[in-house]
Amino acid sequence: MLKYSIKRILLAFVTAFIILTLTFFLIKALPASVPASTVPSATYAYCLDQVDLGYFVDMPETHEELGRLLYEWHEHGADHYFYEKPAFDQYIAWVKGIFTKWEWGRSTAIEPNSNAIHIIFERLPVSFSVNIISVILSVPLGILFGIIAGLKKNTWIDHTISTLVMVFISIPSFVIIVFLIYWFAFKGNLPTMWPTKDAAIGRRIAAYIIPVLALSFGSICGYTRFVRAELCEVMSSEYLLLARTKGLTKNQAITRHALRNAFVPILPSILAEFIGVFSGSMVLESLYNIPGIGNLYIKSLTANPRDLNVLLVDMAIFTIVGLLAGIVLDLSYGFIDPRIRMGEKNA
Amino acid sequence: MEKEKKEFNLANLPPECNDPSIKQEDFKLIQVDEKIHDQKFETKPTTFFKDCLRRFVKNKSSVVATFILGILVLMSIIVPAAFSGSDIHKIDKDHNSNLFIEYLEPKLFKAGTGFWDGTKKMSDIPVDTTDPNRDNWGPAGYKMNAVSNLVIGDLQYTNTPNQYAKEGYIQFGYFENIPDTVEYISYASDSSYMESLKDDKFIKFKFDHSLKITNFVTLDKDKLAASDEKTKDYPKGYTDAESALYFVFSEGANTHSVKVVDYKKAHAIGEGEEAIDIKPLFDAYKDEYNSTPGLDPEEYITNDILSPGFEIRVKNEKNHANSCTLIKSVGVESSSDNPSIKKDFDKFSFSSGNQVFIRSELYNRIKGNNEKEKEQKFANSGIWKSISSSRYSKETSYLVKAVLCSFTYDTYEDKLGAIDDKMYNVDLLKLKNKEIIKYSISKEKNSEGVYVVSKCECEILKPDDCYLVKPFEAKDVVLDQTTGLVNYVNCQVYRYKKEFGLDKMPTFLLGTDKQGLDMFVYVFKGLRTSLIIGIAASAICFVFGLIWGSISGYFGGTVDLLMERFTDILAGIPWIVVMTLTIINLGDKPFFSEKQSGELLLFMIALCLTGWIGTSHTTRTQFYRFRGREYVLASRTLGASHGRLIAKHILPNAMGTIITSAVLMVPSIIFSEATISYLGLGLKSQQSLGVVLADNQSELTNHPYLLIFPSVIIALLMISFNLFGNGLRDAVNPSLKGEGE
Repeated sequence: MLKYSIKRILLAFVTAFIILTLTFFLIKALPASVPASTVPSATYAYCLDQVDLGYFVDMPETHEELGRLLYEWHEHGADHYFYEKPAFDQYIAWVKGIFTKWEWGRSTAIEPNSNAIHIIFERLPVSFSVNIISVILSVPLGILFGIIAGLKKNTWIDHTISTLVMVFISIPSFVIIVFLIYWFAFKGNLPTMWPTKDAAIGRRIAAYIIPVLALSFGSICGYTRFVRAELCEVMSSEYLLLARTKGLTKNQAITRHALRNAFVPILPSILAEFIGVFSGSMVLESLYNIPGIGNLYIKSLTANPRDLNVLLVDMAIFTIVGLLAGIVLDLSYGFIDPRIRMGEKNA
Repeated sequence: MEKEKKEFNLANLPPECNDPSIKQEDFKLIQVDEKIHDQKFETKPTTFFKDCLRRFVKNKSSVVATFILGILVLMSIIVPAAFSGSDIHKIDKDHNSNLFIEYLEPKLFKAGTGFWDGTKKMSDIPVDTTDPNRDNWGPAGYKMNAVSNLVIGDLQYTNTPNQYAKEGYIQFGYFENIPDTVEYISYASDSSYMESLKDDKFIKFKFDHSLKITNFVTLDKDKLAASDEKTKDYPKGYTDAESALYFVFSEGANTHSVKVVDYKKAHAIGEGEEAIDIKPLFDAYKDEYNSTPGLDPEEYITNDILSPGFEIRVKNEKNHANSCTLIKSVGVESSSDNPSIKKDFDKFSFSSGNQVFIRSELYNRIKGNNEKEKEQKFANSGIWKSISSSRYSKETSYLVKAVLCSFTYDTYEDKLGAIDDKMYNVDLLKLKNKEIIKYSISKEKNSEGVYVVSKCECEILKPDDCYLVKPFEAKDVVLDQTTGLVNYVNCQVYRYKKEFGLDKMPTFLLGTDKQGLDMFVYVFKGLRTSLIIGIAASAICFVFGLIWGSISGYFGGTVDLLMERFTDILAGIPWIVVMTLTIINLGDKPFFSEKQSGELLLFMIALCLTGWIGTSHTTRTQFYRFRGREYVLASRTLGASHGRLIAKHILPNAMGTIITSAVLMVPSIIFSEATISYLGLGLKSQQSLGVVLADNQSELTNHPYLLIFPSVIIALLMISFNLFGNGLRDAVNPSLKGEGE
């Protein structure tokens, strides 16, 4: 078990490393840009920082063979011409910067010349707060509805729940979000957009309602479906029949045997969902203007010129969170149910 | 050896089983002597797929879903093809010209039925109260012939600028939802000035009906008390005198514009940082302006002000160097004779949710190396920025008092119905030659030697072909006064007949959008693109995943390990990252961006890069399941090749499950495509359902129908595809039934 866990974690590290490397080179394949600042000296400062960090090279004169000129600056008789270094050199500088200075690259458009990881960490709490509330709300509700539907299988309650689940899972999230905003914000009294930091506390709390609802719908439906399917399978199993024939009441049989076994595959996915709160929903955040990392992704992508460094770090966060959730999902199976031997070769 | 013939004998039974009602004749063996091994089965043999179909049909919801899916697919093929040449679509086809009709409401029934009839419920529209007779009042700016169910209400505040309104006010307030798309906003929200304007703390500037300020209030407490008797309108205890705010509203030029000027620059005083009492200055200006209405305020202020008009000034202060404010709403009242005023204010479109953000100076923070952080200050003569109507900001605007009404408005009658027009001689002759109308105009010279119409007769011969609403009369005819020729005739024409050449009023089932595109055709075109992308991408993913998965699953061992690691890595990248990287890397290449098909191909590549992993995984699992079976082993011992084993023995058994997973992939790909298009990264030259929704998402407040129909279609498509896929899976693989329902 321990051996498998270590192996699994190491493998995830390698995977993350390969993915990030790949992403880095794909991003660097695009033409680099410098901040289009209203202050020329700010762009110059950015370029100097880039030289210090090892991404750019500062030349006293123009060099045609060095590729595209990124920026030029003339001051006190000195000329500076900035070019991009080769992608591999930049990669070395990037990896070195991360491990020595926690320097992930500088933003060009979102917050010019600030460390991209700081921009991410500024926005992560917002995404996190919305997601965690949604998870805390949707997990119990989803399990509750799932249990109800599973226990009342093939009754009208089950049919109603299953139909609603089918409908809500099928409707794209942006449709749900748009209509939530229409009904609750335009027709109702909720904020139509994420309020600023200094807004009244009541408004700021009220602003959570629409995003949390929007995120919870899909999540609740997913859990309901999952729990129902697992419970239905367990309910028809022979050991439950045995438990009943031994004289357990229905409630005893369900709580002691059915639910425990049904939750073996459900709990890991709940744990993985808790890891997933560190990422953000792009559609929701850009529609409701939540300053989270999903919104940041869209913004850095649609900024002109694109803020590729921030985009890269944002992509890295999404990838790492996804991989982490995968590890938790896999490993927690073994911890929750000792019958499951992780890492055994299947025949 | 002959089989012993056994005969059931009742007498052999034990006595307790003896029942007198059972007789020996009831027991007779049939087919005892018959040879049945060479007879044909009377039951029909069934194939795997027939069996599946039988199970599938039993699942009613799946059958219904399949039916709906079939209708949707058929519609997506038929509708764009069938309607491209029809009369209705003419408007769409010509939308490059100026002839297009935007925002027609969905219409299925005749106007007046009250539901789906091309009408729109309007409320809180100012009433034109110029007519002394109240019966002639109607909503200002609307065509009376398109109005029905008119209810005129009382005098109340509205946010629609209107020349029939009386009194108003400008309200400065705290901007509740600052979108962070505006770059300066963070500074503004940090400012204590913004803080002080929070919630109920508003400052109002009142002005009278001639657009002159009657009530001017500074933010200073003392002046507040002294300024006017109406102080109760202003928040009590408002003491922030630091960032005083001034504005001048002037009339007399054609343009009314919102300007912000740096106070210091504008008045060339207050070079120092000390606070300046600006009230006397303002009063002087106001008095001077009021006393000499002809004065051009441009001279008075500075060269910074391009045109006289509505100005808002922000004053710099020592403690609030970055003073700024925000116009939450502007109340205007204008019963002025100048008709352009209304239009001018429309131009600024405060009513569409715009709010004006003003600050006197722009700060740009430059972050230096590491923790070094320096601030640079830029003198700026003031910036006014209308925060472009953010999609979901609440509608705010001027507040004016007006009589409001509510009514039902026929958008078709409004945009395509009768309009006032001029008919020139050529047009008249054309109609006359076609014998659609006949007319005679006789003229005479009057006492001043000018030609006037003495008699005019006009008759419409073919009312169906004629675009004239009614025959014109003598007073409509305009003659050239010197030559006496007919210059033009003022008349009413049906717009749909004259300009669009239609025989009857067109009907748009789902209305038209802002470009005048018929939503019915547009939505189904989008559906067609979505389906093409979904099905084609699924097919590619299916084929590739099948090959990959079968090789990996069949051979196992090192091959499997390597291939699995590869898919692991690929699956570790979120799909949106893969799509983004593909699109931004290849999107600019001429091969992909020049042609529509190239763009479609790029999109397909982006979707397929990770899409095949699911199929590959399913295939691999199925191969693991079947490759160890006895029949495969038997075939292998008989010398079957790998290809034969895969194609003839393992694949046919695994196919059902794999195909089902491929069918369920179609909706997920459509979903991915719609999401990415909705985020603005999607197709540009083509319309998919996601693009249709993205195009219309800003119309949510005013034209919700533009979003409702595409949403319904995409939801219907998803639901029916999922139900169909689930039904198929249950039918193909009954042991999985109920999973993921």
